[in-house]
Formats: sequence, structure tokens, C-alpha cells
Amino acid sequence: MIGAEAMASINALLTAPWEALAFCLLLIVAPAVAEPLHRRWHLPSLIAALLVTLLTSNGAIAYVAVAIGAVVHAWGAWQASRTGAVMLVASAVLALAVAVALQLDQLTLAFGLSCVTVAMRAGVMPLHIGVASLCDRAPVVQTQQLASTVALVFIHLRFVDHHAAAIAAGPTLVRYGAVAAVLAALMTLVQKDLRGFYRGTTAMHGGMLFAAIGAASIGNFAAALLVAVSMGLALGGLGMMITSLEERVGPVMFRGPGGRIGAFPKLAGAFILFGGAGVGLPGTAGFVADDLLLHTLWMESPTSTVVIILSSAMVAVATLITFSKTFLGKTVASLAPDLYPRERAVALTLLLLLLLLGFAPGVLLGPADAFLTAVPT
Amino acid sequence: MIGSAMSFALVFTVFAPLACVGLVGLLTLLREKAPSESRVARIMGAGLAASALGGVAVLLGFLGAFGDPIRGEVELGDWLRIGDFVMPAVLLVDNISVTISLFGAFLTALVARFSRTYLHKEPGFNRFFTLLGVFATGTQLVALAGALELFFAGWEMIGISSALFIGFFHERDEPVRSSVRAFATYRLSDAGLLIATVTTFELLGSARFSIFANAATLPAAESTAIALMFLLSAMGKSAQLPFSGWLPRAMEGPTPSSALFYGAVSIHAGLFLLLRVWPLLEVSMVARIIGVAVGLSTAIYAAAVVRVHTDAKGALAHATLAQVGLILAEICLGWTTLALVHLVCHAFLRLGQYLKAPNMIHDSHRLGHLHRTPTLLDRWSPALSARVYASSLHRLRLDDRIDAAFAPVMALARVVDAADRKLRGLVSLDRSNP
Repeated sequence: MIGAEAMASINALLTAPWEALAFCLLLIVAPAVAEPLHRRWHLPSLIAALLVTLLTSNGAIAYVAVAIGAVVHAWGAWQASRTGAVMLVASAVLALAVAVALQLDQLTLAFGLSCVTVAMRAGVMPLHIGVASLCDRAPVVQTQQLASTVALVFIHLRFVDHHAAAIAAGPTLVRYGAVAAVLAALMTLVQKDLRGFYRGTTAMHGGMLFAAIGAASIGNFAAALLVAVSMGLALGGLGMMITSLEERVGPVMFRGPGGRIGAFPKLAGAFILFGGAGVGLPGTAGFVADDLLLHTLWMESPTSTVVIILSSAMVAVATLITFSKTFLGKTVASLAPDLYPRERAVALTLLLLLLLLGFAPGVLLGPADAFLTAVPT
Repeated sequence: MIGSAMSFALVFTVFAPLACVGLVGLLTLLREKAPSESRVARIMGAGLAASALGGVAVLLGFLGAFGDPIRGEVELGDWLRIGDFVMPAVLLVDNISVTISLFGAFLTALVARFSRTYLHKEPGFNRFFTLLGVFATGTQLVALAGALELFFAGWEMIGISSALFIGFFHERDEPVRSSVRAFATYRLSDAGLLIATVTTFELLGSARFSIFANAATLPAAESTAIALMFLLSAMGKSAQLPFSGWLPRAMEGPTPSSALFYGAVSIHAGLFLLLRVWPLLEVSMVARIIGVAVGLSTAIYAAAVVRVHTDAKGALAHATLAQVGLILAEICLGWTTLALVHLVCHAFLRLGQYLKAPNMIHDSHRLGHLHRTPTLLDRWSPALSARVYASSLHRLRLDDRIDAAFAPVMALARVVDAADRKLRGLVSLDRSNP
């Protein structure tokens, strides 16, 4: 008897979503390596919350762990961004409500609340105000909370996305996500500073992720998961590069050509690669994620698919404009060094993960999709 | 055995340049000092030479030099398989793909050798060669892809490297602006290719090129819609009207890249796409009529502009455009073999002309100038001739018209941004600016 239980535990451990966990862990550790934090307890708490979120087979416990993680993020964000911190606390309260709803077997309520939580954490317009503030004022916290958002998406797909209400809400969520994405993309086109660009592109990806979650309700879990992971890696990397640049030169406004590529060639290279990965640069996870997402969206709403394609195109143009205005132009000398070795190591790791998922997306998606699909309804 | 050797040769042809780009990237990122000019040129030269040799091996396999000829789809496994959804890693070996692959590989290697001397001590030397590697892989993917997803990956790589080449001399404002404009045109027209890819998959059950053999089974409206999306994409990439405005701006890039992109390979990529999806185009009369009209009007427009252009590369760009317009018309008329021959011969001619363009002043001094003689139009209606002259000089104000068409979108973007700022201002708990 004990042997059977032990075997079941070992089996559960072996079939746990290790790949997703590995990606989330790397993403949550990366900013702490690139920008060492002063609070030593912060990172271990986040890692512990992440481990519980992804390894537990109890939905309520997973959402409680998400709530705890959100509070830890809020603690880290409070000094720099109170709006962001309040959003994170609000999302923690919502996650707790989802946990309660799951305990009471109120799946429809849990699904609705979980969708709002995801929208707040991913920065879907108009619930993007907290994330926008984090992008503006605390990009390091924003990068880390992206890792937790990937875990949140994972448990959303695992615990609350397997029933009739989710299927019925699918087309609405897809349309809502598409509208949010196109509005954010339009906004990104007219930004006049680097943080504004980061804010806009994050909101556009939030819209895409929300549409992907809508499409996931009919069983397309892989697309939603890959969109979340590639968003985390690409925007996380982009956020770190923006932080690194602004630590060296101060806030970057688009008043004219920036001319910083001569002083920071490695930073410029990493910036354009992360920016490109976010908008579907071939060879990176973003390309496969976009392609997979479009195929799944088409089943729910062809119009929304076209809208998402146009949104991605607009943000791609905005990315090149931002790169041009930040790095290109008459070379400006700077005493500040290019990326430090620890920053380079983090950038390289994230880029390699993006490439790995671009060339062999099955590494993550095969096991994760099997795991999510196997969950009984 | 021969099949796996062929697979290896194909993978080598496509990915050798990209692997070298990765190596240069690693050397740049991991070391404090950027790799030297000669090291980058050697690494990239090796990658491009390997790609060309792989191309020769593919040609030999295709011709049956190692036994039975290897033709058709070569499966490399699944790029991604999720349930019923499969994104195949499949390459296609046929007369069109082998021709374009070999032609692209050799021209790129040739231009790389030329550029090693031409761009010696240029500040962006390493950047140039890295982008050339990305372009080479993009070209090979476009040439050899057996499915639209792989094709699109190559298509995008060509687009990105093209935009970054245009902005190569980024210390001046104009190349940077031109680069953004070209990229915006590419991305807009690429939306057509993406929509066509997804639609093809949903309606025909696969995005392999071989599936277009079933195009006749589609209802006319659906086949026409997909064909029009492919045509839109080809028009953007091949600078056909009304997207011709970016081409003269693209001449801001270094001459070797202009030669390779806008003389030889990239400008013809749209035409190659149409050749690839010909079975679909064949059953869509509306798309073919539009294609002929666009091709011929672009040819007339470009022929008029080339006569008034005052700089060598700009004039060459429009001369190229005129021929590309004619090739588009040939494809849409169904003369696909003629179009393929025209395409390859034209590409070789233009590559040579572009590479020789910096020598033009010297040549014109040596050879003398042609005296302008009045044309038929000059004699028949001087007033109309003057109007044609003015319109050609201003290139029909294409850029202004496109800007005007997009002005409402930009106005809407500013409204959305203002509303967002207001909303965030109302709700924000943060006291001061970050």
C-alpha cells in the first residue's frame, strides 16, 4: 500500500512540468543576477512560491502560492511604483478568491476571476495601469513578475480552463485580446521615450496573451503557454537591457538620433534581438509562438487573427524606430562601459533559451501540452 | 544513405551561414574586444562557401549524380507537433528551388568576397558580414522551403537584413529614415503572407507548397482571396506599385548590399513566391489580372522615372523595377518558364551593373554621354511630355500619398495614447515622474 503511494508520488514528481518550471526559474533569477537586489529574502521567497505553484497538484494551493508571490513582488515594487504594488496586491486578492472558488467547486467563477488576474498581471488594456507603472518605474520587478505571470498562465490552463464556461467565453476573450493588442500597438507607434515603448509593447503582448488564453479553452494549451514563455523571455530581456542602458545614460527620450551604438554595441545587439524576438524574429521562440497563436486564433475568430497580425506588424515597426532613435545616429561618446559580464551572461542565457524554443519548441511544448491535456475535466 | 546525405547537404546549405553568424555573435558577446575584421571575414566566408558547396551537392543529387535523382520533398522531421497540428521541417528539391538556391549562394559568396576589399576599414565591417550571413540563410530558406512556415522564416530574415543594410550608414539621418520606411512596407505586406499561410493551412489542411496542387478544389472566392494575399506580399517585397517608394530610398545602403538585394536576390523574392504558389494563382483569374496590371503599370512608371533620375544607383533601381514589373506580368500571364529565365538573367546583369555603379563617373568620362534626342511624345505633345517629366521627377509623390493614407492611423494612435495617459494619470498613486 505504502509502496503504491510512494510510486504515485514518484510518478507525479516525474511527470511534473519541469520544463516550464525551469524556464520560469531562469526568468525569475535572471534580473537578480543582472541587477543584484539588496533584499536577500526576496529571491528565495519568489522561487519557493514558484516551486509550489508549478509542482502542486491542488489548484487552490497553486493560486495561494501565486498570491504570495504577487505580494512579494508588491513588496519589492512599493518604493518605486505604488500603482504597480497596489495592482500586484489586487491580483493577489483575486488569486486568493480563485483559490476559494476552486475549493467550493465554483469553476465558472474561478475561471472569470483567473482571467481578470491574468489580464492585470499581463498588462491587458485597460487593466494595464499597474504593469504600465512597473514598466515606467520598476522594470526589474516587472521582469520578475513576468516569470510569475508565466506560472499563473500555466495554472490557469491546468486548473480552470477545462470546462464548458471556458469554451463558451473563448471567442469573447479572443476578440477582447485582439482589440487590446491593437490599441496598445497603436499607442506604441507614437511613444516618445524608451520606457513608453516598453510600456506599449508589454500591453500589446498582454493582449496577445489574453487572446491566446481565449483560444486555449478549446484545447490549444500549447499556443497560450508558448506565447506566455516567449513574452516572458523577450520582454524580460528587453526590460533588463532598458534598465542597463538607463543606468548608464539616464532616461532615454526620443528627441533625435541617440547614437549610442558606438559606446554600447553589445547592449544594442541584445536590445534588437530581444525586441525582434518579441515580434516574431525567425529562429526565436517569438516566431513559433506567433505562428502557433495565429493558427489557433483562426479557429475562434479570423478577424481577430488579422487584427493580431497587424498589431504585431505595428509593434515590429515601433521596435525598429525605437532602436534607431536610441542607438543609431552620430556616435555619442560615453564613459560608461558596455554590458558587464554578469549582464552579458544573463542576456546570453535568455537569448539561448529564445533560440532553443525557436528551433526546437517541442522541448517545452511537447511535455507541457501532454501534461495540460491529460488533466481530467 | 543517399537520402540522408541529401538531407545533410540541404541543412548545410541553409544553416551554414547562420551557424557562422552565431559564432561571430558569441565571439562579440563573450569577449571584451570585438573580433577583428579578418577573422569575421574568414568565418563568414567559410560559412558562405560551405553553403555554396552544399548547393552544388544538392544540384548533383537532383541531377542523379549519386544514383537515383532526389527530387520532391525532403523531410527533416517536425519543427513542431502538437496534437493534430504539425509544423513540418520540409525542404523542396525541384528545378526552381535548386536554381534559386545555387544562384543565391554563389551571388552571396561573390558579393562577400567583393565586400571584403570594398568595405575594408569601414566601421560597420563586422555588422555587414553578420547581416550577410542572416541574409544568406534567409535566401536559402526561401529557395528551398517546402512549406509556407519555413518560407516565411526566410522571407522575414531577408526583410530584416534588408532594412538593417539600408540603415547601415546610420550616422546620417536619411539612411535610418529610409530603413524604417522599407521595414514598415515589408511588415505591412508580410501581413498578407501570414494571412495567406494561416488561411491555406485552415482551408487546405496543410501549409506545404505541394498542397497547392489541390487549389482547384477551393471555392473561387477563397482561392482568389488567398492568391490576392500572396500577390500583396509579393508586391511589397518586389517594390511594385504602390509600394515602389522604398526602393530608391534603399540605395542609401552600401553598394554591395544594394547589388545583392535590389539588383539580384531580394527584389526578385516576391516573384519567386508567385512562382512557388503558381497552381493557386493559376485558378484565380482576378489575382492574375491584377498582377498583370500592377506589373505593367510598375514597368511603365519605372521606365519613365529612370529617364529623369540623376544618380546612378537610383536610375539602376528603377531600371530593375521596370524589369521586375515585366516579370510579374509574365508570371501572371502564365509564362512561368520564361519568367524564371528572365529572373535569373536579369539578376546577373543587375548585380554586375550595381557593383560597377561607383565607377560610373569614370566610365561616362571614358565612354562619353549620349545626346538626348526628342522623343515621340516630345514632338506630339510638349505639354503632356512636360507633365510626364514632372510626375516622373517626383516619382508620382508615392511616399507622400502613402503618408497621407496612413495619417488617420497615426492620428488615432495619438488619440489612444492621450486617452491612456489621462486614464493612467487619474488612477496613478505615484506622486512624481519616474
